[in-house]
Amino acid sequence: MRKWEIARKISYIVLIIYAIISLTPFIWALLVSIAPMNYMLDGKPTGVNIMQWPPEINIFKIPPEVFGAPATISNYGQVFTVTPYARWILNTIIYAGFVTLGNLILDAMAGYAFAKLRFPGRNYIFTLLLGTLMVPFPVTIIPVYNLLVNFNLVNTYAGLIFPKVASVTGLFLMRQFYMSIPDELDEAAKVDGAGIFRRFWQIDSPVALPAFATLAIYTFMGTWNDFFWPLIVTSNKDMFTLAMGLNYFRTSYYTFWQLMMAASLLMTIPMIIIFLSFQRYFVETSTSSAVKG
Amino acid sequence: MKKIREWFAGYLFILPIIIVVGVFVIYPIFASIYYSFTNYNPLRQMEYKNTFNLQDQLEQYLLIFSMKDLNTKDLLSQFDPADFIQTQLGIKLDKDQRAIIEKYFDSKRLMEDFVNLKTNKRMSGSQFMSEYMSKYKGMFSGYTPTWVGLKNFYQMMNDPLFWKTLWNSIFFSIIVTPIQTFIALLLAVAANQKIKGIKFFKLSFYIPSITSSAAISMLFMLLYAKPGIINRFLGFIGIPPVDWLSNTSTALPAVMAMNIWTTAGYFMIVFLAGLQNIPKDLIEASELDGATGWTRFWKIIIPLVKPQISYVVTLGLIGTLQVFDQIYFLIQNQQNYTTAMYIYVNAFNYNQMGYASAIAVFFLAFIMALTLIQRKVIKEESYF
Repeated sequence: MRKWEIARKISYIVLIIYAIISLTPFIWALLVSIAPMNYMLDGKPTGVNIMQWPPEINIFKIPPEVFGAPATISNYGQVFTVTPYARWILNTIIYAGFVTLGNLILDAMAGYAFAKLRFPGRNYIFTLLLGTLMVPFPVTIIPVYNLLVNFNLVNTYAGLIFPKVASVTGLFLMRQFYMSIPDELDEAAKVDGAGIFRRFWQIDSPVALPAFATLAIYTFMGTWNDFFWPLIVTSNKDMFTLAMGLNYFRTSYYTFWQLMMAASLLMTIPMIIIFLSFQRYFVETSTSSAVKG
Repeated sequence: MKKIREWFAGYLFILPIIIVVGVFVIYPIFASIYYSFTNYNPLRQMEYKNTFNLQDQLEQYLLIFSMKDLNTKDLLSQFDPADFIQTQLGIKLDKDQRAIIEKYFDSKRLMEDFVNLKTNKRMSGSQFMSEYMSKYKGMFSGYTPTWVGLKNFYQMMNDPLFWKTLWNSIFFSIIVTPIQTFIALLLAVAANQKIKGIKFFKLSFYIPSITSSAAISMLFMLLYAKPGIINRFLGFIGIPPVDWLSNTSTALPAVMAMNIWTTAGYFMIVFLAGLQNIPKDLIEASELDGATGWTRFWKIIIPLVKPQISYVVTLGLIGTLQVFDQIYFLIQNQQNYTTAMYIYVNAFNYNQMGYASAIAVFFLAFIMALTLIQRKVIKEESYF
């Protein structure tokens, strides 16, 4: 089967080329982030030229050299001193954490109701909720922003969290999962005298743990990386999230590339760790969501 | 009885999400439609919310330096409520409001309170008005935008920049969606061979899609710089350096390339999962029939991953039509804005929320029409 061998070789070439394309921006950012900071001389940045070509890299020296200068990790420390970066991390954790918690509870409750409970208007309400997924976000921001202004929620955690605390996508995911649990399980528990709340919490939800995990990971990552909503709600730098804070390293006169790259990579590392630890849940959602399409 | 309990539990369980969706999605749609017929200005909203010390304002207005020996009657003759509200409190009034203030504003009580030193407290414009209007308090409880009819929509129709941004969004979408779908499928087919190090490839393709669009924009700002790495590589094949992001003809394609780079890896995983469900002997059988690489790709693989293709195309269209973050960071020239960005700048930078809402309403109708068309097309295709 020589044809198969050729196909495999081509496949390797394709994959390797794309892996290089995919990773180069990150590697480049890493190189810049460990280059020593420039200092200002007569208002002009002097020191390392990060646009230097070819970048003089020597990894056999101690410390290694990048762009012809000794590498340093001090930029990562500087990020914390020139900006309230620690505060931004805290804000992002609060934002992403509470949004995730809210989605886990509220989406699961609603998902359970739409999958297992019977009540008048159930299908109409569900269709209506699904329909709201079609609404593009630029349509809703102006009234939502005015709502937050009227309730004095601009620049507050509540303003960041409330509008995101439940989501129809999450509801859909949870409903699909509860529907896949056989009704016999519920019926048996009913015969044993378990009430609705106990069936939801103690019988069905433990079975749905993988769905909870998937929902938690997706919501947390989505909120952690979210830029648009913090842009609307926060204007005070103490309320910024990490994504929002990145703009801070770019002034109209000068861009602090080293710090900006260090800050960008810092906020990406937790996402990579989460991806590596929970990889199987990522594939699971992409499969299950593709089936419905 | 049991049934009613179940009804009750059902409504209780869905209540929170109904409230969230109702307040933050459904209400805003109607509010946007309303705003689109007004000249809503967010700055004016603050007029009634700013607080002030009433006594200070009155002293300044009436030019009083000492609170001794004041006479209500004298003060009343100097006090013009509408003028005071406009010039001293900074609340803009229209004709009707001024007429109503002249009739129903209780100047006498205000002057008595002032003389009796009862006005030394902080309050907001709306509190002040509800305190001293004897009638029509509701008219002054906050800023009400003026109804302008279809003016915003006329403005939109005649705004070349709006049409340009709409075209940019469509252009973005129809170029990016097919390319990212094709690259993702190609990568998935390649990765579906017995490949060593598949875990490494998956991770490296996936990293861009789990990185914040803000961070990615920063990374690419560096890559796209005139002395940056992309120009250096292009220099190898003799292409002179281009200032990708400042040049109006290259800025949007540069962001589009970045968008493809961000999403192709994620969609590849979707396709890979689909391909792995295809029985191996099906592909091998086609091999025995003498199907070559390309025919195999088009005739066997594509039809088998149709559900994934429609999922990826739908997600791609939705994502690209609304693209905002990357535009916000990387696009400098208005000519390259997308509609989402144009709505944002009109609302939050130019304080024209009425006009921005008109564009948003148009955009909603546009997206809904597209979605309906797309559903129909996909349904018809599945009859094959």
